Amino acid sequence: MKLFAMKKVRKMIAGVAVAGLLLSVSGCGSTASAPASGSGSAQSGTIGTAKIGVVSFLTGGGAAYGKAIKQGLEMAKEEVNTQGKVKIDLLFEDSRGEKNEAINAANKLVNKDNVVAIIGPTLSGEMFAVGPIMNQAGVPIMGTSTTAEGITDIGEYVFRNALPESLAIPAAVKKAKEKYNLKKVALMYSNNNDFTVSGYKTFEKAVKDNGLEIVTTETFADKDVDFSAQLTKIASLKPDAVMVSSLYQEGALILKKAREIGIKVPFVGGNGFNSPQLIKIAGPAAEGAIVASPWFPNKEDAAVKKFVSDYKAKYNEIPDQFAAQAYDALKIMATALEKAGSTTDRKKLRDSLAAIKDFQGVTGKFAFDAKRNPVMSATVLIVKDGQFSELK
Amino acid sequence: MDFILNPYYLQIGMFIMINAILGVSIYLTLATGQLSLGNAGFMSIGAYTSALLTLKAGFPVYLAIPIGGFAAAAVSAVIGFPALRLKGLYLAIATLGFGEVVRVVFLNLKITNGALGLSGIPSLGILLGKALSSAGFDQGMGGLSVQQLSNVSVLLILLILVVFLVFFSLRLSRCRVGRAFAAIKTDETAAEAMGINTTYYKLLAFLLGAFIAGVAGALAAHITFYIGPKDFDYHRTVEILLFAVLGGSNLVWGPILGATLLTMLPEVLRAASDYRMMIYGAILVTMMAFRPQGLISEETLRFWKAKLGRRKEHDLNS
Repeated sequence: MKLFAMKKVRKMIAGVAVAGLLLSVSGCGSTASAPASGSGSAQSGTIGTAKIGVVSFLTGGGAAYGKAIKQGLEMAKEEVNTQGKVKIDLLFEDSRGEKNEAINAANKLVNKDNVVAIIGPTLSGEMFAVGPIMNQAGVPIMGTSTTAEGITDIGEYVFRNALPESLAIPAAVKKAKEKYNLKKVALMYSNNNDFTVSGYKTFEKAVKDNGLEIVTTETFADKDVDFSAQLTKIASLKPDAVMVSSLYQEGALILKKAREIGIKVPFVGGNGFNSPQLIKIAGPAAEGAIVASPWFPNKEDAAVKKFVSDYKAKYNEIPDQFAAQAYDALKIMATALEKAGSTTDRKKLRDSLAAIKDFQGVTGKFAFDAKRNPVMSATVLIVKDGQFSELK
Repeated sequence: MDFILNPYYLQIGMFIMINAILGVSIYLTLATGQLSLGNAGFMSIGAYTSALLTLKAGFPVYLAIPIGGFAAAAVSAVIGFPALRLKGLYLAIATLGFGEVVRVVFLNLKITNGALGLSGIPSLGILLGKALSSAGFDQGMGGLSVQQLSNVSVLLILLILVVFLVFFSLRLSRCRVGRAFAAIKTDETAAEAMGINTTYYKLLAFLLGAFIAGVAGALAAHITFYIGPKDFDYHRTVEILLFAVLGGSNLVWGPILGATLLTMLPEVLRAASDYRMMIYGAILVTMMAFRPQGLISEETLRFWKAKLGRRKEHDLNS
């Protein structure tokens, strides 16, 4: 039996810890720009400055979402502050996509900075942890990207303006069926991500509701890069279309591989497909990918055109769905604050948020239903010539 | 007073306590020189067991939490026998693998709701709040609201648990079992030659560690309303290990200090916004470079005892 000295154990522990550290730090590319400075002096005719807290995924693996959300919110803030009756001061806190961090961030904003409402967090899982605490404390909280089922069941202070997948996916499936006369389809989804699993369940239901036959259901995991096994099987079954619930990284790689092995049928994606990055990574393989989205940057609409050009001028990129929904969320907040006539009363703000109707945002006409979910319509998009365009 | 009663600080306090409990759990396995990285796995077993019992079977929370601990301990007994035949890095790899297996199992089970996780778990704070209201304190007590009162009580319960665990570990290190742990840690072969049943003591440490991790997981589930497989991945394991590495693993105070510092650090650094995690990482790397044995070791304790003792003498003389 070999001797096992204490020193060796200690060195080993340190080694494992350092390795872990490096792993976790490497995922933390910080991307967000300088924090917003709140210019909030109350002018005559205004009702003062409202402090709104934002909990977002600003560093780590999902920082791209957090960055888009932050930029969308800052655009909206500037516009509200120059035009509106109410001034808004935004306070950003990072959640790193972890629920404990999100709880701490929200608690800090509410109990230390005394914000009137919270926008965020980014992930549905975070909302399930933060929502009940905010609901108990009586702070209105609005998710801009929390699409999972059951979010607003948490309580009457929990809102969202993210189009739930239960609205978007059926629209895409229905349109694709009409357009391509689908009979049998294959399903694919990432099984280790709450968002994509929820999307898959919606796909399954929508496919059944439309009377389509499911030839196979294939699963993979986030960060997978090889999909040949699943796609070869799908190719042999010859479906009329493939429905994919994944994030854009995997979605793009699936499209690439599928076209490579000769699957020519249309691909219908969940919300993850709804990103310019999908086209960027997949290139020509993205042609024919279908997704339903509340946000369509090339829409013939004055507000949308202005938003896109302003955003492009400021950040030198086309706003994605996360930016657009965050932009609308803050505008909705501002409208509700104006109606509530107070920048500090959380109960009044909740009531006037719940009463929001006929709000015209860049993601279309918007209202909250009785359960504080959004009532809005989705546009079905298809990738054509390297761009999203409306599928008519 | 307002400062302490701020729900933000109370919440951080709760996370510190839970992490301190996890720190004790890794301390106990390290006390026999076994590097086990399965704590996140045991934590998730405790968390899921307790959450499912309360959500689906209607168990009361105070019963479900210890059952979560026992479930983790039961699994650890099954894993422990074969795994503890391995030594050093091999044990670390095996237990790390075990943690991942547990996570993947939870990810694919129907009853755990897969990657969507379990939401709406009954919360300790809200349950206590209800109990307080029905006990006639619905207007609060001593100028505190019910919410504050329930948060303070949860924190107190956790604190009592941590104090008990520290007391338990300190007593353990002075009794027969603790001495056997120390002997195995220093030299397993020599310990065996001295007639110590090493398998028994290693398994005992492993079981205790798993039980405490399971209880910590169950408590975490009932404090955060929601658990998903993502909460118990490899990063969680490394975080728990870091409590012991940063604080020092020779004394129970080490992991507790480590847990406290590492839970507070990200919050203290919030002011640095984007650079937060970079600074966090830099601090840890610096720590590893300058104090690889951890912040608290036997020497530190001796040093301070001597220093404080001298001061007392000095005070007496002057």
